[in-house]
Amino acid sequence: MNSLTVSNVSVAFGGVDALSDVSVAVDAGQIVGIIGPNGAGKTTLLNVICGMNRPDRGDVTLHGTVITGWKPSRIAGLGLGRTFQTSQLFPGMTVLENLMTGLHLRGRTGLVAAAFRTPSMKREEAEMRERTLAALDFVGMRAFAGRSGTALSFGQQRVVEIVRTLIGDPTVVLLDEPAVGLSVPRVAELDTLLRRIRDERGVTLVMIEHVIRLVMGVSDRVIVMNSGHKIAEGRPDDIRRNPDVIEAYLGRQGDARRPAP
Amino acid sequence: MLMLSYLLATGITTGALYALVALGIVVVYKATGVVNLAHGELFMMGGFLAYTLHVMVKLPYVLSLLLAVAGSFALGILTDRVAFRPLMKEGLASVLLATIGISFLLKGIARVVWGGKGDFLAFPPLVSPEPIRIGNVMIMSQQLVVLLATLAVMLAFGVFFKTTRAGKFMQATASNPRAATLVGIHVSRVYMYTFGVGAAVAGASAVLMAPLTLLYPDIGFVLFIKGFAAAVLGGLTSVPGAIVGGLLVGIFEQLAAGFIGTTIQDVSAFIVIMFALIFLPTGILGTRGIRKI
Amino acid sequence: MRVVVSHRAFLVVLFAALALLPVVANQYTLFVGNLMMLYIILALGLNLLVGFAGQLAFANAAMYGIGAYGAALLQVRLGFSYWIAAPCGALLAMAVGTLLAFPALRLSGIYLALATLAFAQFTQWVLLHWNTVTFGAGGFPVPQPDFSALGMSPDRGIYYVSWVVTVVLLAFAWRVVRSRVGRAFVAMRDREMAAQALGVDLLRYKAVAFALSGFYAGTAGALYPAVLAYVSPEGFDLFQMILHKAMIVVGGMGSIVGSVIGASLLVYLLEVLRQFKATQEIVFGALLLAFVLFQPRGLVDFAKRCLPGWAEPLHYASDSESPADVTVADELVPGSGGGAPR
Repeated sequence: MNSLTVSNVSVAFGGVDALSDVSVAVDAGQIVGIIGPNGAGKTTLLNVICGMNRPDRGDVTLHGTVITGWKPSRIAGLGLGRTFQTSQLFPGMTVLENLMTGLHLRGRTGLVAAAFRTPSMKREEAEMRERTLAALDFVGMRAFAGRSGTALSFGQQRVVEIVRTLIGDPTVVLLDEPAVGLSVPRVAELDTLLRRIRDERGVTLVMIEHVIRLVMGVSDRVIVMNSGHKIAEGRPDDIRRNPDVIEAYLGRQGDARRPAP
Repeated sequence: MLMLSYLLATGITTGALYALVALGIVVVYKATGVVNLAHGELFMMGGFLAYTLHVMVKLPYVLSLLLAVAGSFALGILTDRVAFRPLMKEGLASVLLATIGISFLLKGIARVVWGGKGDFLAFPPLVSPEPIRIGNVMIMSQQLVVLLATLAVMLAFGVFFKTTRAGKFMQATASNPRAATLVGIHVSRVYMYTFGVGAAVAGASAVLMAPLTLLYPDIGFVLFIKGFAAAVLGGLTSVPGAIVGGLLVGIFEQLAAGFIGTTIQDVSAFIVIMFALIFLPTGILGTRGIRKI
Repeated sequence: MRVVVSHRAFLVVLFAALALLPVVANQYTLFVGNLMMLYIILALGLNLLVGFAGQLAFANAAMYGIGAYGAALLQVRLGFSYWIAAPCGALLAMAVGTLLAFPALRLSGIYLALATLAFAQFTQWVLLHWNTVTFGAGGFPVPQPDFSALGMSPDRGIYYVSWVVTVVLLAFAWRVVRSRVGRAFVAMRDREMAAQALGVDLLRYKAVAFALSGFYAGTAGALYPAVLAYVSPEGFDLFQMILHKAMIVVGGMGSIVGSVIGASLLVYLLEVLRQFKATQEIVFGALLLAFVLFQPRGLVDFAKRCLPGWAEPLHYASDSESPADVTVADELVPGSGGGAPR
């Protein structure tokens, strides 16, 4: 069963074709990696899926519902989560508050309930607090609950962000370069973490990455993009040997990363 | 018919002046991504400086103009040093609030130095106030002089940008600050001169406008709103847009005043801003930026 | 969590003092105290919109004016009782404020700032020129509500009404900030994209923020004619805009207590400088500039450093904890073992 389908999506920005007729089908419980040189349209694809860009043509379907043109917050309500390339921890909040915001969709308190401190509001807050503290325990960071998000090291921030994305129990999560800036041992840990997320919680992951070792190691399927087109798709081993893929990477100067030794 | 031509002539003249104010706003915005909310007060100070020099110290008009423009330039540089440079990394809100602070500071200083709210300063006319007829069009000779002078300033501005090194540096920095740094352009200095030039243009505009109208400390904000309306209409990133926008605002204002009533003048700029932001978000000649997420 | 006695204590003391003021004060001091409470309400509303929700809007003074004129005109033109006219004025301001949320969704940054500023100027123009309705530039007197049934002068009566309203609105803002709504605001302010990805509906929360600030400003406005017995466009001009902004910058953006501190201090300063409009402009302009440059987090930040119990939720977290102070966990995820990738 497809949990996420992208059908013939095209997006152009001011004359530049960011995506041209791209189609992707992701099954539930898979890890799908997206690779390609810079400017290939990978982030644009994620943006279209989560609703931040509207496609000029084509559709996106999530769990059988067509979500093309929906607001990002509404799509999140259907169970889609997303991380970004740069740190998106809310600097004005503590780690605890950041995570509680991750539970925003699980709550229902509005102005009136907040103003009157209704029993249901208090119950909701207490439950949220419990869940966030449990999540922090899960990653061994409970001691950081009261700290400002900016007072953490880079690696710790990444962990908190991932926890924040997962705490609301999304079913499909889009990850934009989760390994950026991580050292080799940390990347290995991330690999394990991603597998655990897929195996223990059944979350479907769609991941853009430049760290080839990670993508090839952890993905069930890999999609290769170049200049707005999908140029290859298949299992990691097949992709490694695909001549179009090799040309796309080695035929371009500049940003193509050489695989880690 | 004579009435209409008079309205149009007035509209074009005031429009040209608004265009100059808008030019100052656009030049700074293009380079720095910020609108200087004290821009109106820089305009006002230019006018007051010219008044002091020409009416109180009795210097000749052209000399006063040049000195006032130089003074505005200096004030612009000061604005950059105080409000922009230290705060640009903090974000737009901080810069805007700082420029608001500067605008009130300057306005208050002007009030203290030159007189209270009720005091309006009258600039003597440059030429005799009789109207002249050119074919079917009636125009005040004063307006004609101002219009020609404004066009001269615009021309000088264009020449500065296209031919001088400083002008080219400013264009380069505006389109790509990183690349500009890489080729050795001292970007923060360019920002400083940009503010200076923007302010100088505003000051020139005030001095040219001074013979046509009365000067008072609150005039800065009034002109700022009109200049901003012109800039938004033309496209906040487009220099020719500022000129087109300015003329359109000026003409619209005069026609509205003539056919509806004079009080509409104060609010016509607001109408233009609302119209532009709703229907033409990038302006008539502006470019839509590609949003990279 | 931690007991935050310090800033609660400050608020309690302040409002107790304000409650007792009518006993000892003369008419002028009472007036200033009342004005202080109006400005506390204004600063709270503006801070919710600008400081917490991050919307760079400049229309607060216009909402204030709409509330004041709404309440005053309903009394003077249509003969409504103050107790009906005042809530109507506040609700009118709230409605207009909410409408501003729609352009806020499409415009951002400088465009939003200037659109709201232009709107504020437009409102001012309407108040000045729509003579048939608003009485024009001169303004008009407004009868104060009658408190003789309670044995109080109108000044005292409206003072106590203001006190109650201010305390209620303060408590309301306090609670909103410490709730899911408050978190949504701050998320929207700090990282709009990530907030959306977590399900925060931007349109809804921007509308809520604008509605709230409109309501607060409108309520302060509704109290205004009862306090001053007179309404004129001058009270809602550009200078008001800078005054409101200065209050939250000096007090502390994104802080409830900061709003109170900023409003109280600056009203006092305003009255001290009542003599000359020009000096007011210079002082407030310089104050705003100085704080933005040197103490952007406001006086509350200063208090936070000196008084350990002062931390507020969702307030800009202190920078004093650098990564070096933190014991860095060696493993990214303790327990995962850092195994080989395959």
